[in-house]
Amino acid sequence: MRIPRTLALGASVLALVGACTTGGGSSAPSTSTAASGGASAPASAGASPTIRLGSDGFYEAKLMAEIYGQALEAKGYTVDRTGIGVGARKVSAPALESGQFDLKPEYIGSGLAFYEPGKQTGDPKANETALQAVLKTKGGGITVLDYSPAADQNAFVVRPETAQQFNLTTMTSLGAVASQLKIGVATDCDTNPVCAKALKDAYGIDVTNATKLAACDTPMAQALKGKTIDVGELCSTQPDIAVNGWVVLQDDKQTQPADNIAPLVRDDLLAKLPDKAGFEKVLNDVSAAMDTATLTDLNKQIAVDNKDVAVVAKAWLQSKGMIS
Amino acid sequence: MVAADADGDGRMTFVEATVRWLTDPASWEGPGGIPARVVEHLALSVAALLIATVIALPAGLAVGHARRGQGVSVGLATVGRAIPSFALMGLVLPITQAYDPANGFTIYPTLFAMAVLAIPPILVNTLTGIREVDQDLVEAARGMGFTEAALLARVEAPLALPVILGGFRSATVQVIATTTLGAILAYGGLGRYIIDGIAQRDDGMLYGGVVLVAALAVGAEALLALLQRLAARRSAEPIRANT
Repeated sequence: MRIPRTLALGASVLALVGACTTGGGSSAPSTSTAASGGASAPASAGASPTIRLGSDGFYEAKLMAEIYGQALEAKGYTVDRTGIGVGARKVSAPALESGQFDLKPEYIGSGLAFYEPGKQTGDPKANETALQAVLKTKGGGITVLDYSPAADQNAFVVRPETAQQFNLTTMTSLGAVASQLKIGVATDCDTNPVCAKALKDAYGIDVTNATKLAACDTPMAQALKGKTIDVGELCSTQPDIAVNGWVVLQDDKQTQPADNIAPLVRDDLLAKLPDKAGFEKVLNDVSAAMDTATLTDLNKQIAVDNKDVAVVAKAWLQSKGMIS
Repeated sequence: MVAADADGDGRMTFVEATVRWLTDPASWEGPGGIPARVVEHLALSVAALLIATVIALPAGLAVGHARRGQGVSVGLATVGRAIPSFALMGLVLPITQAYDPANGFTIYPTLFAMAVLAIPPILVNTLTGIREVDQDLVEAARGMGFTEAALLARVEAPLALPVILGGFRSATVQVIATTTLGAILAYGGLGRYIIDGIAQRDDGMLYGGVVLVAALAVGAEALLALLQRLAARRSAEPIRANT
């Protein structure tokens, strides 16, 4: 973690300078509007406030935050990474609301469920809209930027040979042959409305006698790997999927809560930015360029190959031509 | 779920939830019902204890009688005791799963770990029990013309029986309490209620499972304590020359 620490140090020094020149006060919109009003050059570090990044503690959340950070730095923004990996949503959500940081990657389904349990749906657009409605009133207003096609959510996964043998691509195609396959589902499946009931209603899959294992966890992955089960409920960006070349079946009837990743930004920061549209474009471009399979591979590089988060983020941004 | 609120304070404590779950007829029915889970739980526990007995009892008798190799045996037993059962399950899982993808995942790793858990108390108590038999008695029997096998079978083993049973007793309690781990690898048994209760945020099921495991372990403990006391009374009687 040599690089981020150096950057973070530089960022905090700049943040200090920035705070002095704009007269301090992060929650004084009048002061900052006045300060930013005079700046005409778009997104130059001198005129723009420091972007304070935060994220959940999980490596995928840290990676997305790091990608946001490097993409913004490439456009001349100054970034403070102190809040990255601050903790679970229970910690990171209040931290964003109270202005401990300005920007964090969020999973739109789980993020919505944090405020309104059970309201998340399989439709990412609906989740984004509902989450935006909730966050409008939180912490003086928080904006949900474009969500990415990349989603870390419950997914049913098969070994490549199983996919080939039964010609499986979607959950509907699984439904037709489910009785011939051994299925592993989450331990809460029986009572979880988006598990047993949703699978039965949408795809005709009966999981009464399915193998019950912790979803997204090592035993489930090991059971699938060792052929104890043929279909396993994993998380769609779990490194095991990339390691073993497994096939994620598309949830074509959108039964699982959509947990696409979207940047959340505090409105008071957006108001202070000289080039709000340019700032949002940087993050929206990141979201648009990321997808689930790529994110799974990046997760594997971090969790399995033990690569540094900042190195992985940089390599991906470079491959997309977003930084040089 | 309908909230049971016995004390009418407007919320359901985990005690109320547990009582409700335990007294709900639905909890006692079907393949996931309490009787079925108790049978699964006992089946694996008893199998593990049998395996452990087959290995540890002859070994303990032999080492105790020979009065040699005690240090090695106790050392090995201590190592066995020190390895967490869950780690053992993880260690053998890839091997057993390769031979049998179904049972090699759901049964054998847990069975192996439970047998390893049960071996140390049975082994250590057996060899200690045999070793602590009064040597004057052993020498007297030898002088009376007992063969070594007869000496072990008719003098040492009966006298050591209460101690041996004590080892069996603590092995049983440990195994019954720890077989719950099997649920992590999709085995049935009472651990299912604990794992599923946590996953489903069903406190009644979770603590109901805990109560059942504890009751089963304590029940087995009481039964074996009774057996042990009977054995102690018998071994206190004088040895008859021809039994």
